[in-house]
Amino acid sequence: MSLPVYIFKRCLQALPLLFIISIMSFVMMRLAPIDPLAYLKANPAISQATIKAEEERLGINKPPVVQYFLWLSNLLKGDLGISTSGGSVNKLLLQRAGNTLLLGVASVFFTWLIAIPAGVYAAVYRNTLIDRGFTILTAIGMSMPTFLLALILLMLATQTHILPIGGLTSQDFFEKNLLGKGLDILSHLIIPTTVLTVIGLAGVQRQMRASLLDVLQLDYVRTARAKGLPESKVIYAHAVKTAINPLITLFGFEFASLLSGAALTETVLAYPGLGRLTLEAVETKDMNLVMASLMLGGLMLISGNLLAAILLKFADPRIALE
Amino acid sequence: MNNRLNQIIFVVALMTVAINCCACISIETASSVETNKSLSNAATTQTKTATLSDSLFKAAYPGDYKLVKLGEEELWQDRGEAGNFGGVLTVSEFGSGPKTFNCWAASDVESGGIASLMYESLLGVDPWTAKFYPRLAKNFSISADHRDYTFTLRKGLRWSDGHPLTADDVVYTFGTLIAKGFGNSSSRDVLSVYGHYPSVEKIDNLTIRFHTQVPFAPFLSAVGAAIAPKHILEPITSKLTAENKVGEFNSFWDINCKPETLVVNGPFKLHRYLPGQRVELVPNPYYSMVDKLNRRLPYLNKFVVLIVPDQNTQLLKFYAGDTDLLDIRAVRGGDAALVKQREKSGNFTMYNLGPDDGTIFFMLNLCRRKNPKTGKFYVDPIKQSWFNNRYLRQAISHAVDRKRMVANIMRGVGYELFTSESTASVFFNNKLKPYPQDLGYASQLLEKGGFKKQGDFLYDGQGNRVEFTLYTNAGNSVRDAICVMIQNDLKTLGIKVNYQPIDFNILVDKVSDSLEWDAVVMGLTGSRLEPYDGANVWKSAGRLHMFDQRLPDSKGTIKVDDARDWEKQIDSCFNQGATTFDLPSRHKYFDLYQQITYDEQPFIYLFSNLNITAVRNTIGNYMPTPLGIGFVPRGSMHNVEEIFLKKTP
Repeated sequence: MSLPVYIFKRCLQALPLLFIISIMSFVMMRLAPIDPLAYLKANPAISQATIKAEEERLGINKPPVVQYFLWLSNLLKGDLGISTSGGSVNKLLLQRAGNTLLLGVASVFFTWLIAIPAGVYAAVYRNTLIDRGFTILTAIGMSMPTFLLALILLMLATQTHILPIGGLTSQDFFEKNLLGKGLDILSHLIIPTTVLTVIGLAGVQRQMRASLLDVLQLDYVRTARAKGLPESKVIYAHAVKTAINPLITLFGFEFASLLSGAALTETVLAYPGLGRLTLEAVETKDMNLVMASLMLGGLMLISGNLLAAILLKFADPRIALE
Repeated sequence: MNNRLNQIIFVVALMTVAINCCACISIETASSVETNKSLSNAATTQTKTATLSDSLFKAAYPGDYKLVKLGEEELWQDRGEAGNFGGVLTVSEFGSGPKTFNCWAASDVESGGIASLMYESLLGVDPWTAKFYPRLAKNFSISADHRDYTFTLRKGLRWSDGHPLTADDVVYTFGTLIAKGFGNSSSRDVLSVYGHYPSVEKIDNLTIRFHTQVPFAPFLSAVGAAIAPKHILEPITSKLTAENKVGEFNSFWDINCKPETLVVNGPFKLHRYLPGQRVELVPNPYYSMVDKLNRRLPYLNKFVVLIVPDQNTQLLKFYAGDTDLLDIRAVRGGDAALVKQREKSGNFTMYNLGPDDGTIFFMLNLCRRKNPKTGKFYVDPIKQSWFNNRYLRQAISHAVDRKRMVANIMRGVGYELFTSESTASVFFNNKLKPYPQDLGYASQLLEKGGFKKQGDFLYDGQGNRVEFTLYTNAGNSVRDAICVMIQNDLKTLGIKVNYQPIDFNILVDKVSDSLEWDAVVMGLTGSRLEPYDGANVWKSAGRLHMFDQRLPDSKGTIKVDDARDWEKQIDSCFNQGATTFDLPSRHKYFDLYQQITYDEQPFIYLFSNLNITAVRNTIGNYMPTPLGIGFVPRGSMHNVEEIFLKKTP
């Protein structure tokens, strides 16, 4: 099957999948015993009439099935509806998507930049001091809660005055020139990227190490060595090329996280990302906003998997697209 | 080999635990996480905060505003010292940021706080004397029958776009915008007197008269709604009224609007909004106030509100000098002592502005009715007889240790509470005396009420063991700790309390709709100035009459046919308090209502938070008072227009 046909087929398959995701998300949100108007109801200054009017405006007095198809038909028109706060969901998502993508790309980039060589090194020099150092580091990364690491780095920043305390831009951001703006954003990205990299590092590095260790024991590697190929060529040209396959699959999943954000880290670091927006939306049962975020997450996961399949095809010719 | 690996893993595990512990200690001290384990170290912090709560801060009264004329324009002259212009003031706000910039659609604290920087009303409340004074108005008068209110505007008022602000704007605001229910219709409810909305008419270009059907004392506080720019909003609202789409007004000037389209009459105007990051405001060039040297205010060049979703980060930002001020609620109980330690090195001062107007209380479900749908009692009849037994409620009130709650949960940053009006209220009845925990007296009260203690448990007259479930909203560490303490205190009386934290939304649903609950710990906001604002809670037909909630019928009206005598008495206190203008008589009615709730204990009040702020010493004209507290970010800066940054020498 040629590549364009394959992609087209996978896209067609994604449609019913997305439909099922949307129904499941909708049902789960409906079942959640959260009342989006609870805060209004608990406020002595708000009258019964106001609450009724608000129910009307948000459409929560309509039957769930009607609500769902209303949402679906709007979605097909490209309209994600309004948030409980009144703003359009499209705009809310767009405002945050750029920030989240920036942080996502930076952290995925650094995670893989460090994790792949580290994994290869750890596998080749197994059980040396450096391999154990990585083991300790990744164990910390795996066991440390993200918010805690973020808070520790923030405290460090407070003491040293080198890095800004959370946020994405300084107050004088708009008075700076282009270079100044770029540097400002970079300095704000250091802490969140470090947090997400340290946390993400563990999984990828361990996977790379394990996968390469498996390959290094295979016959063809022994053959290559027996042929007298230099060790660097054996590892980088032959072993790593095969060992990378499971990592490409992993990359497909990581791709999905590019736009889903990291809610806890974003909250502690006051970073204006999608994760925080979604978390706040779930807490207030902001139906349209949560649905849009979940659909976006589903879409990213599906396209991540597709991307991984295509990359795998290029990385390993043995794999056939079907 | 395996052994070595195990060793390594052990070392790693140990290190992680150590790191986590270190971090936890610093977080523990930097947040109000409160567990029984940390009760012991609370005692040390308490001694430091005790001195804080003894020194209630109130700035000296700076005198009245003076009216000055500059050309044709009449302006108020401010009361603080003459400062210097320029500079950026940065504050932080906990939460997810404003939901709208439409002042009339705002229904949340964050949007209300930003709106209070941008819009003014006819009247203001003096933060020292609690008296109403003219703000956009030059003066106002009330007719002898207390039904007509006449306001005269100052000459030469202008909107931020230069358009004149006249009686037309006022008439539009009250006669159309609020009357027809655009935006948040609660302002309409507050202005309505027994369902009748007051009429408003334009007398001349600067004079407006309101007429209410009956005399209504809370009217003056209700008329404090922000005045809206008719020339901008009328084209929008007239279209929406015609098409019967009043609700769509909410999407005008929402958070996606262009800041330059906003037209304001207050000291500041929106300049830029970065979602999830910050709100930047700049001075309104036509703001109608001047300083002692007749220079137009505000002093600040920019007012920046950082949106910070985490309270620890909020503190760190203040320590690092990113923000100039930690306003009320930013300094929590557990933090106060730590912040205090940094006063000198951080060049700031902490101010204790006294108790908050909000209250935290324990309540029992007094409902005696059946659910019409199922035919069953909302509350089990056995429990009904306990909860409706006044002696039980009084015994609980004497058994809970409020002092220990304030010391241990709030680390001294709280104020014991025994009355339905917080001690912050100008209507607080100071004849009602506080009392300490007295388990002996509580036991006596229970005996009087027909309860008997056998062994470790308390039994009622019919031999039923007294046991009930206590709910509060999960995730609130303060309320969680309160519930654990109540559980322990009541255990000594033999009452078994099953404590169960549940989601806030479910809690609200139980209390206001399903009515299936025994006991709840909750909090409510109050008002320092107008006890009638609590009518929704205290009147027997109120929408938040939570201790015995009557449910509305399909039309939304609540009918009451089983009010207790004391509930009827409270109803009449509120009705008379609302229609009486004579201040001593108003005090009499609201004193009586507090006396009744003090005796009957439908809510067993526990404590109020203390309002504490921490302010960099470089800020000039910061004159906070216990009464002058609004929504953050304006917060304790009631005189935000005259706040300035001192020049560093």
